[in-house]
Amino acid sequence: MKQIAFIAAIAAIAISLPLVIGESPYFIGILISLLMMAALSSAWNILGGYAGQYSFGHAAYFGAGAYTTLILLTLYNLNPLLCMAMGVVVASIIALITGSIVFRLRGHYFGLASIAVAEVVRLSVLNFEFTGGAQGILLSDVVLWDLDLNSKIPFYYGMLLVLAVTLAITAYLRKSKTGYYLQAIREDQDAASSLGINISFYKNKALLISAALTSVLGSLYGLYIRFIDTSAVLDLRLSIEIILTAIIGGVGTLWGPVVGALLLVPLAEMLRSNFFGDMLINAGLVSETSGVGMFLKDNLAHAHVLVYGIITVLCILYLPKGVLGLFRRKK
Amino acid sequence: MIQHLLHISHVSKHFGGNVAVSDVSFSVEEKQIFGLIGPNGAGKTTLFNCITGFFPATSGDVIFDNKKINTLRPDQVCKLGMARTWQRVKPLGSLTVLENVMVGAFSVTSSTREAEAIAQEQLKVVGLSDYTTKSAGSLPIGLKKKLELARVLATRPKMLLLDEICGGLNHTETDTILDIIRSIRKKGATIIFIEHDMKAVTSICDQIVVLNSGEKLAEGTPAEITNNPDVIAAYLGGGHHA
Repeated sequence: MKQIAFIAAIAAIAISLPLVIGESPYFIGILISLLMMAALSSAWNILGGYAGQYSFGHAAYFGAGAYTTLILLTLYNLNPLLCMAMGVVVASIIALITGSIVFRLRGHYFGLASIAVAEVVRLSVLNFEFTGGAQGILLSDVVLWDLDLNSKIPFYYGMLLVLAVTLAITAYLRKSKTGYYLQAIREDQDAASSLGINISFYKNKALLISAALTSVLGSLYGLYIRFIDTSAVLDLRLSIEIILTAIIGGVGTLWGPVVGALLLVPLAEMLRSNFFGDMLINAGLVSETSGVGMFLKDNLAHAHVLVYGIITVLCILYLPKGVLGLFRRKK
Repeated sequence: MIQHLLHISHVSKHFGGNVAVSDVSFSVEEKQIFGLIGPNGAGKTTLFNCITGFFPATSGDVIFDNKKINTLRPDQVCKLGMARTWQRVKPLGSLTVLENVMVGAFSVTSSTREAEAIAQEQLKVVGLSDYTTKSAGSLPIGLKKKLELARVLATRPKMLLLDEICGGLNHTETDTILDIIRSIRKKGATIIFIEHDMKAVTSICDQIVVLNSGEKLAEGTPAEITNNPDVIAAYLGGGHHA
C-alpha cells in the first residue's frame, strides 16, 4: 500500500509539473533531459544491472532510433510512430548481431565488443551519404495528430511515458522468471547454467529489451531536437553518461537510475550554465574581474565531465551500491 | 531387468596433452546411491563436468535415460533431469536463500508463485526454512551446502550429482546431509556422490567406483572396495582420510 501511494505521489508530481512551472522552455528542457536520462539509464539497467552485462555502447541503439526515425521522416514523411517502430527494428537487429556473437564469450568481452559495435555504427553513419554524414540530419516539420510539436510539452509527456513503461517493465521483470534468471547469470554463470538456464538466450533477451527501449528514446529525442549528428546521438560520451547515472544512483535497483538522473542532470546543467561560478561571484566571495573570477567564468562551465568523473570515483570508493545503497537495510 | 539410468561408456577427457579422464566406463542403476572416489586429481570433478555438459568429453558416450547427452549444454542436461552441486559452493550471493532455490524451481515452472512454493518445500527438506530472507552470500559454509542441495532439488531431478557435498563440514553436519540424501533416495532419485570422507561413502553408497590418475581402478560394493588391495595402496594407504 505504502509503495502504491509512493508511486502515485511521484506520478502526480511528474504529471502536474509542467502546469506548475508553466511554459518556461528552459526548465521544461532540463526536465526532458532528466526524464530521458532516467529512462535511458533504466533501460541500460535491465541488461547491465540485472543481468550484469555492462554495455558501453548503448549510444548505438539510441542513435539507431534517432537516425532511422529522422531518415524515414525526411525521405518518406511516414507517421512518426511508425518511424519509431522501424527504429526499434533496426536497433534490435544490431543488438541481435552483437549478442549472438559476443554472448558466447564470458567476462568482459561483451563490454569491449559493445564499444566496438557502437564505434562501427558511429563511423558508418558518419561516412554514409543517406545518413547526412558529418552534417547530420535536419528535420523541418513533424506532424502527429494535432499535437503542437513546436512546444516542448508533448515531449515532456512522451519521455515521462517511456520512463514509466521502462520502470514498469523492470518492476515486472525482477519478480518474474526472466528477472531471476538474469540475476542468477549476474551472480554466477556456472551455477545458473547448471540450474537449467540457457545463458545466451537470456542475455540476448535482456539486451533486446534494453536496446528496443533505448531506441524509442532515441527516436523521441530526434523528433524533439529535430537536428541530429553523430556527436549528439552516437557518441561514446552518451554511453558513458548512461552508465554513470546508473552507477551513482544504484545499479540493479528499480529506482537507482532515476535517483542518479535526479542528481546528475541538474548538476550537469548547473555546471554548464556556470551556476556555481556565478554564485561565488554574486555572493561577493570572488571578484568578477579578478584572476580567479575570470578563471571560474572561463573554465567551470566546461568542467562538468571532470565533476562527473570525481563523483564517480567517490561513489565507487564510498557508495559502491550507489546512493540508493545508503537507504537499503542490510539483510 | 535392471534399469540403467546413466551409462558412461569409454569416456576420456584430454586438456591438451594432459589426460584428466581416461577410458572410464560404468553404469548407474535407478535409485542407487553411487560413490565416485579417488585421491585428489583423480579426475572425479572432470568426469562430473563431462557428464553434466560443462566440458564435452574428448571421446566416449554419456547416455542418460536412454538419450545420448555428450553434446548437450549444461542447461539442457538439467532440463532432462540431471542436476549437480559444486565442490566449491556457488551461491547466488546477493539473492536471498529463498530466491536462490526459486531459480532452481523455475526450471519446472514459469509462475513465480509456484516457484516460491516449490522453494519453500525444498528449504524445509534441508532444514533452511528459518533462513529464507537471509542473503545467500552471508550463510556459513554448512548452510551454503544445504542451500546447494535445496536448489538442485527444486529442479526436480531424476539424478543428482553431488560433488563433495560434505566437504568442510563437521560430523554432525555431515550426518544431517547424509540423512537428507537417504530421504531423497527414498523419494525415487538416483544419486552419484563424490566424496573424500570414506566413512560417509561406505555408510551410504550401494556401489562405488574408484578413480586414480584418470583411470578406473576398481568398482564394487563398499565392502569389496575397502578390502581391495589396489585401492588400499592408491587411496587408503595413508589412513581414512586420504
